[in-house]
Amino acid sequence: MSALIGAEEVEVAYGDMPVVRDVSLEVRQGEAVAVIGPNGAGKTTLFKAIAGMLSPRRGRILYEGARVDGLRHYEIVKRGIVYVPAERELFPQMTVLENLELGAYTNYNSRAERLQFVLHVFPRLEERKRQMAGTLSGGEQQMLAVGRGLMAKPKILLLDEPSTGLAPLFVSEMYRQLSRLKSEGLTILLAEQQIPHALAFTERAYVLENGAIRLSGNSKDLLGDPEIQRTYLGMA
Amino acid sequence: MIAILFDGIVQGLQLSLMAVGITLIFGLGGVLNLAHGQFAVVGGIATALFVEAGVNPLLACALGILSAGVFGLLVDRTLLLPAYRSAGEERLLLGLLITLGLSFVVNGYLDYKHANISLTLNLPTPSFEVAGVTIRTASAVAAFIAILAFALLFAFLKGTLLGKVIRSIIQNEVGAGLCGINPGRIRTLIVTLSAMLAGLGGVAQGLFSSLGTEMGNELTSFALIVAVVGGVRSINGTLAAGVLLGIVNAFASYYVGAYLTLIILLGTAVFTILLRPEGLFAHRT
Repeated sequence: MSALIGAEEVEVAYGDMPVVRDVSLEVRQGEAVAVIGPNGAGKTTLFKAIAGMLSPRRGRILYEGARVDGLRHYEIVKRGIVYVPAERELFPQMTVLENLELGAYTNYNSRAERLQFVLHVFPRLEERKRQMAGTLSGGEQQMLAVGRGLMAKPKILLLDEPSTGLAPLFVSEMYRQLSRLKSEGLTILLAEQQIPHALAFTERAYVLENGAIRLSGNSKDLLGDPEIQRTYLGMA
Repeated sequence: MIAILFDGIVQGLQLSLMAVGITLIFGLGGVLNLAHGQFAVVGGIATALFVEAGVNPLLACALGILSAGVFGLLVDRTLLLPAYRSAGEERLLLGLLITLGLSFVVNGYLDYKHANISLTLNLPTPSFEVAGVTIRTASAVAAFIAILAFALLFAFLKGTLLGKVIRSIIQNEVGAGLCGINPGRIRTLIVTLSAMLAGLGGVAQGLFSSLGTEMGNELTSFALIVAVVGGVRSINGTLAAGVLLGIVNAFASYYVGAYLTLIILLGTAVFTILLRPEGLFAHRT
């Protein structure tokens, strides 16, 4: 199977400081792939480059066989690449429903059908639908952020730290819903610091350290890798 | 007493019409428009020129408002481009300089070309009486126009996709981009719409009293004060602040005179920033 999306030797810099160096990765249709690594490894920077919010200084980003680096981020959304950042970036003084409606901006005619789908995935949002997004709990806001992303009917969802600031119960709940989305065929690229969750959920993973890929492989193998266990899972 | 109150409310509504444009352009474009009063003057003076050319007054008003809109559109697509290309503080500063320059140019041009033109619209019935209080028809009409414009604006922002898109960009431009919204195009629309609202304010000023070519800076200052007191990202707040300051203005002008009034208004603005930095009605758009 060929890659749905791929980064080829991508370098992203803030000013003169390269934060992501020579990174190549690919995600195939229907796959869930994790990018794991410590805080500050460059995961968010890499995701922002793929989402068109930062321009790579070197390298290419290919999507469905065509280059997408250099496109503006709102054009990238139209092609089906949807980024859900860790900061969520919701509209705090708009209702849950309005937030979701705007998520369907590029896909407005099928918004009713998408809304039904999203409220089915996150029934919690149905209960809160008339509430202002800013008044939701952290976990609910995260559901709304993912839900808003799903409204666009993405071909690939870039999820940046969906577990940030969530209580453990919410993290498990979030991953249960993500597994369901994946089983329905959604392609997912995930950045995560909750390594066990991320590796259990994905097929393959890349380990990013200091802006470069240090290891990659099957998630299951990485979960059993002694070095990963020592460095990231705190096992002796 | 009631007459002063009523006058204050009417004047305040007109200020709100202008201030809401400042709020929208700042919220969407990150530019604090120092030529906003000039947008109003362009609309009003264009109306006066159309009337002078023999156009039916009502049609002249519509054409005048449209002229203000076209003027706003041109400014957005040409002069403001360098500001939009930069971000954050740089955009704010560039925007201030560009619009300040624009206000000089408009003032200079009007002073040179149309120094003796002013807009005064007279209505067939000058006044009517309600419960023993004499009300000027012009004031009532001006108030009605402003209220109608605000009702339409609120319905547009709450009830249409485009309105929701505008609110989303004001609340979180990054979030709007993540939804696939191109803020640039919406920004042009908003600058045009705001210029038209300013033009409407100019025409209403001509109805209420008289609009001269030299009034741009004065209108900008008043509108800026209103926008700041209302919270420069809040449309409800702008409306309320306009009415409030209009009333303060009317009473202060009556009791202490015009010179002290401006100081009182500025004092109100400064106190609002000190006590409620996000405006009277923070967190509401």
